[in-house]
Parts: sequence; structure tokens; C-alpha cells
Amino acid sequence: MISVQHLTKRYGSRSAVDDLSFEVRTGRVTGFVGPNGAGKSTTMRMMVDLTRPDAGEVRYDGERYRDVPSPARVVGAVLDARCMHPGRTARQHLRAFSALIGVASSRVDAVLAQVGLDSVADRRAGGYSLGMRQRLALAGALLADPEVLMLDEPSNGLDPDGIRWLRDLLRDHSNRGGTVFVSSHLIAELAMFADDLVVVGTGKLIVADTVRKIQQHSGRHVVVRADRLADLHQLLSSSEGADVEHVDGRLIVRNGSVGDISRRAFEHGIALTELTEKTQTLEDSLLELTRASTEFTAS
Amino acid sequence: MNTATLDTAHSATRRTSLLGAFRAEGIKVTSVRSTWLLLGINAVGGFIVSFAVGTLVTDEVLTIAEVGFYWTVVTAVLAAISGVLMFTGEVQHGTLAPALAARPTRIDIALAKAAVATLMGAAFGAFGIVAGFCGASLSGIDAGELSAVPSTSAWAVMYTTLSALLGLGLGMIVRHGAGAVSGLLVWGFVVENLLLVFIPAEIARYLPFFAGNHLLDLDSDIDSAEAIAVALSRVQNAAVFAGYALVLLALGIAMLTRRDVD
Repeated sequence: MISVQHLTKRYGSRSAVDDLSFEVRTGRVTGFVGPNGAGKSTTMRMMVDLTRPDAGEVRYDGERYRDVPSPARVVGAVLDARCMHPGRTARQHLRAFSALIGVASSRVDAVLAQVGLDSVADRRAGGYSLGMRQRLALAGALLADPEVLMLDEPSNGLDPDGIRWLRDLLRDHSNRGGTVFVSSHLIAELAMFADDLVVVGTGKLIVADTVRKIQQHSGRHVVVRADRLADLHQLLSSSEGADVEHVDGRLIVRNGSVGDISRRAFEHGIALTELTEKTQTLEDSLLELTRASTEFTAS
Repeated sequence: MNTATLDTAHSATRRTSLLGAFRAEGIKVTSVRSTWLLLGINAVGGFIVSFAVGTLVTDEVLTIAEVGFYWTVVTAVLAAISGVLMFTGEVQHGTLAPALAARPTRIDIALAKAAVATLMGAAFGAFGIVAGFCGASLSGIDAGELSAVPSTSAWAVMYTTLSALLGLGLGMIVRHGAGAVSGLLVWGFVVENLLLVFIPAEIARYLPFFAGNHLLDLDSDIDSAEAIAVALSRVQNAAVFAGYALVLLALGIAMLTRRDVD
């Protein structure tokens, strides 16, 4: 298990990560979600000692990363897909990395085949597409067959087939007892294969729970438009347990059914112009959760 | 297991680990074109310049024993550039972060880089000298006094080796290839030459490349009488240049072990 406790990193007066605590459970796929500037990459860099935290610590089964005897066998990290010299071939890149981490060079061919780059292994990486670079970076992470795969936005540049392949690979790693910690802004993609989610915004933890529980919280709501919207708002708000919100000329009714709303509107002579039941997706609910902490938005 | 056995096991693991880091650095250096390009420039340049000097300079008596080492002045700069690129190339292409993430004991990587830079600097020196002597020999000039050639060659290789370490240290501090290389060239070819004109010879003899170039013990027409009067011995020149190289390397290693890596 990876335990992140009170992690804090400041750059000048700005907090990149602010007292962040969560756990990544063994044998599960944990998604790390948040808008741009939420502190995901900084957190991941602190988790592998590339960035020194101002406070807090990260432990892998109770041990600090730098005290783990063979870190590459514990964590295979891909924090930047561009991390290769364009003049080196994939094979040379992996041979150097295998020597560095003390893994037999025979593993190089195995991981090249695993990521589907065996046919281009002797081509210089400078001619690779972003998707091929992602695969090569992932091959580096897989070299020592680590317990934990830590990936920052790994599906960037992958085509739909590549994304499916990646998803299957990560799921397979988890099914074999491995741990996957993966950040992505593609929430719908994460929802398809993650077991747990850690949601952050402006460096702070927003929620850490299973995907199922977060989806349960998402729930359904009913969108209503009517000629006498204020009267309908008052009417629906008066019922016990009602959660009614007036947004942009329509009412968002939670804990209400279409049948009940239409019956009550009819009884009070209010004409409805829209009555739609909507099920909130995980993406909707996560966007809602992180909206307040979104640093960059389009006007 | 008792403490002594544990210590032995730990030492063996550390040795294997350092050897692995050294092998990794070796693969990295030999698998990029810039290393071979610089070595090529060193060999071809050394040959052409020595041949040209031996052929074209007619107003003074030159010997192979002397001209063969002229190119070493440039070899030292090329070795320093290769030392710079050894580190800044990693920063530029983002290969440093995964290496340090996989090996959080950063000092291992720094030591492995220094060891490979040492070998690379020595190789540059040896290639440059061989190329220089080949060019000078083919130019048809007299051999001259050859008895000092082995010892001067050893000093020259030491100079280029220390230059590569100086470059590595500079690269670790600056972390930007173009910045470090241009700084090195401007310092070596412009700033030092200007300083030699404006500062007293007692101070100028401690300038890095001035001291380094005097390891070659070449008869210099540009040294003033004052400079010749206060000239340092070869060992003192070696100490001065080694001082610069090792201080820069130590600073670079300290920064590598303390800085956050993007």
C-alpha cells in the first residue's frame, strides 16, 4: 500500500500541493483526477523523490521511497512520455535503463514485445510518434516488473486501439496483484477501469473513494422548465427532503421524480415546457466536484 | 546474519549497483551521435591543423614533437563540451528524471557520470594526440626531441580528462546545453585572453585554461616576459586546473543531489 501523508509543496507563495493525504491500495487501479494545475504531477514527482516536499511523506508498505532497496522493482514510473533521447534507438534506451536498475538485458526484448515496439526497436526514438513514445516510456517502467505502476497521463497521444491496449495492460497488472496509480484528465476513460479515485483541486484533496461510491453520490436529477418557474420552485421546495436549484432559467430537482413533479405542477395549474430526467455521469459529478478549484477555464 | 556479513553484502550490492550505473552511462554516451561527432572533429581537426601548421608555417623551425601537441588546446575544449552535453542532454531530453526516480541515491549516478567523463576525456586526449602527430609527421617537418613526448602526452591526457570533468560539473550547474557550451567557449577563447591583457601576470597564471594549456609545455610566443618570469611549474599548473575542475564538479554534484528534478 502507498500511504501519502500531509504532503505539501510550495513554490514561493503558491501552494502546489497542500496537506494532501490519501492511500493507494495494493492490487487496485487508482485514478488520480483533477483539473490542470491541481498538483497531480507535483504529487507524483514527490512520490518518487524527484521533488522534495516541504512537509509530509510518502511510504511504500511503511518504507520511504529512498529507503526501498530496489526502487525500480517497487515502482515503475512514467511521468513524462518525452523522456528519451531522440538519437537513441528504443533498444539502446532500454539497455541503458536496464543496466541502471540492475535488470538483465534479456528483459529488453520482452518488454519491447509487450508494448508492441519490437518491430521498430532499432529505429531512433526521434522518429517516433507520441503514442510510440508513450509505449517506450511504459516499456521502461515495466522493465523491472514492478509492483506499482505510476503513470502520469499515459493515454496522451495514444489512438483508440492504444488506449484500449493500455487499459487492458493496466487492468491485467492489477489482476495479477499489482498496484496501478494513474492520473488522467479523461475521467470517462478512468471510470471504465479504475477501482478507486483520488480527486484533487488546487493541491487539496476533494474526495478519495471507490468509483462505485462516487458514482452512487452522483445520482439522478430532473430538469424542469415552466411558465411560472418561481411558483414551481416554491412549490417543489416545500416538500420534505427536496433539493431544488434555480439555474439559468430552469430548475434542477434532486430527490424528485418526473411523475411527482408533473402531478404537482398540474394540480397547481403550472404549464411545464421541459421535464427531463438526467442521470449524472461520473464525469459530470467529478467536474462538479472540481469546478470550484479549476484554475483555467474558457470564457 | 551478523553485522560483518550484512556489511559485506551491502558493499557487494553497492558495488554491483555502481557498476550498473557506470554501464548505463557508458551506453548512453556511446549511443548518441554528438559523442562520435566530437570525437570525429577531434581526430580530423587534429590531423588537418597539425598538417597545415607543419606545411604552411615556414618562418620558424617547428618539430613533430611540438606541433603534435598544438591541437590538444582545442581537444581540451572539445572534451569539456562533451562533458557538458553528457549532463545537459539528459536534462533537455527528460531522461534524467526517470533515471533519478529509478535510482534515488543520486550520488551513484553522479559518480558514474564522473567515471565515464574521465574515460571519455582520456579518449579525447589520446585521439587528439595521435591525430596531431599523424598530421605533423605527414607534413614533412623534423621529428625534434622526442624523449619528452611520452611524459607530455600523459600531461595532455590528464588535461583533457580534467576538462571533461570540468565540463560535466559546468553542465550539472547550468543544466542548459547551449548556455553552458557558449559560456565555456566565450570564457576559454575570449574572456581569458582579454584578462591576460588586463590583469597582472601573478594573477593571470591562475586562470583555468591558461594553467591547463601550460601543462603542454609548449613554447608560447604570446607569453609576456613578465608571465614567463612568474610561470608556475607543470605540477602547479595541474593543481590549478584540477582545482577548477573538481570545484565545479563538486558544486554540480551538490546541486544534483539537492535540486528538484522536472
